[in-house]
Amino acid sequence: MNLLVEKSKQKEGKSGSQKRRLLFPAAVAAVYVVLYIAMPDKTILALRSSCSIVSNIVLPLILVFVVMILMNLFLNPAQTARLIGKKSGIRGKLLPAVAGVISAGPIYAWYPLLRDIKSKGSGNSPLAIFLYNRSIKPYLLPAMVGYFGMVYVIILTVCMLLGSFVVGYAIDYLTDDG
Amino acid sequence: MKIAISSDGEELDSRVSRKLGTSRYLIILDLESGDFEVVSNPGASGQQGAGIQVVMLAVSRGVSTIVTGYCSPAIKERLMSNGIEVLSGVESTVRGVLEKYRRGELKFGIHEEGVAGVKKIKIDRSTFARSIRGAVRQFVSLLPMMVGVILLTGLFNAFIPKGWLTAIFSGNPLLDTLYGACFGSIIAGNPINSYVLGGELLQNGVSLFAVTAFILTWVTVGMVQLPAEIAALGRKFALLRNGLSFLLSVPVAVVTVLITNLIVG
Repeated sequence: MNLLVEKSKQKEGKSGSQKRRLLFPAAVAAVYVVLYIAMPDKTILALRSSCSIVSNIVLPLILVFVVMILMNLFLNPAQTARLIGKKSGIRGKLLPAVAGVISAGPIYAWYPLLRDIKSKGSGNSPLAIFLYNRSIKPYLLPAMVGYFGMVYVIILTVCMLLGSFVVGYAIDYLTDDG
Repeated sequence: MKIAISSDGEELDSRVSRKLGTSRYLIILDLESGDFEVVSNPGASGQQGAGIQVVMLAVSRGVSTIVTGYCSPAIKERLMSNGIEVLSGVESTVRGVLEKYRRGELKFGIHEEGVAGVKKIKIDRSTFARSIRGAVRQFVSLLPMMVGVILLTGLFNAFIPKGWLTAIFSGNPLLDTLYGACFGSIIAGNPINSYVLGGELLQNGVSLFAVTAFILTWVTVGMVQLPAEIAALGRKFALLRNGLSFLLSVPVAVVTVLITNLIVG
């Protein structure tokens, strides 16, 4: 009997969180409807811009999906904890920094993978370091040099790398992972 | 080798708990040194995911064997897949378990390598299907947030005129750096757009401090993506990470520009 009550409570909790998850996209959709009534041309432009974003993230999403399957197959929580867990030391900071730099595509494509890594036992700091280092994009550096010059770009890149570790250690400290 | 015994109390004379997931404590013994520590079980209250918390605890402490009264097959499978041996059906005190071990009636260490051990990974059809199902589940659960973020980004792209940004900056370097950090946090998109906009701002006389803060927060802080980040990684983490990245953008911008000016002159 108790088990039944517990299970039904769990179901209620699940459907509640599903509803909460839908709240944000529903609110944005509602804004679209209102804006479409007031400014249909611009709203269609916004929708087109969203569609072009979708076409841009298809490839990164496929990449992330494949990485997730491989991680589910080959990486268990023990290995994750050893690589980037709370007590993984300097390796646990450098590994996500490199991963952040080489990762491609918009950040929201990477959230499912990051959540998966977290559920496998990663600390908070590697996730923060990964996210911060996404600001360093080697393939975009030539474009940046064109706008701001080589010296500025090198210094900014080094500062961003160092900044990522500051954020990582601060997150560790503030979330009691340290 | 470390073993963990699920226990009802903090003493060695406490009973081995009947259920691993909801046991109040884990007594972790180092069989080589004889040291032991008592750790509260984070899943003792029996909430959802209690068993997983025990797995995480055992893994993080480098435990190679768990001794308990009962362990559910799902948790046992998880522990075994992490190289942790499970001895269940034990009805005794913690001290009793130790004495049995000393008398050679109990043997630990089927998986001698323990947590760090190298296990051969067997990939059969069901493991592969489980991996795909897991990945799909993670994706589907975040899909609504992702759609919301993409739609919101489209709105920003269409409704915020690029020239509007330049008009906002005041000419005060410190205030402009803050403004730059704020705008970079709000606007989202490919980083290359931040270089283009940053270049335009520079040409229009906005300080390099402000432009640097703008470029920094464009990627490191995401107000538009915040709901999705909260859903994926938790509210506390997402708010702290974005807050810290925002705060750090100002000193990083100042240091970057000062060093650049020092070198370039």
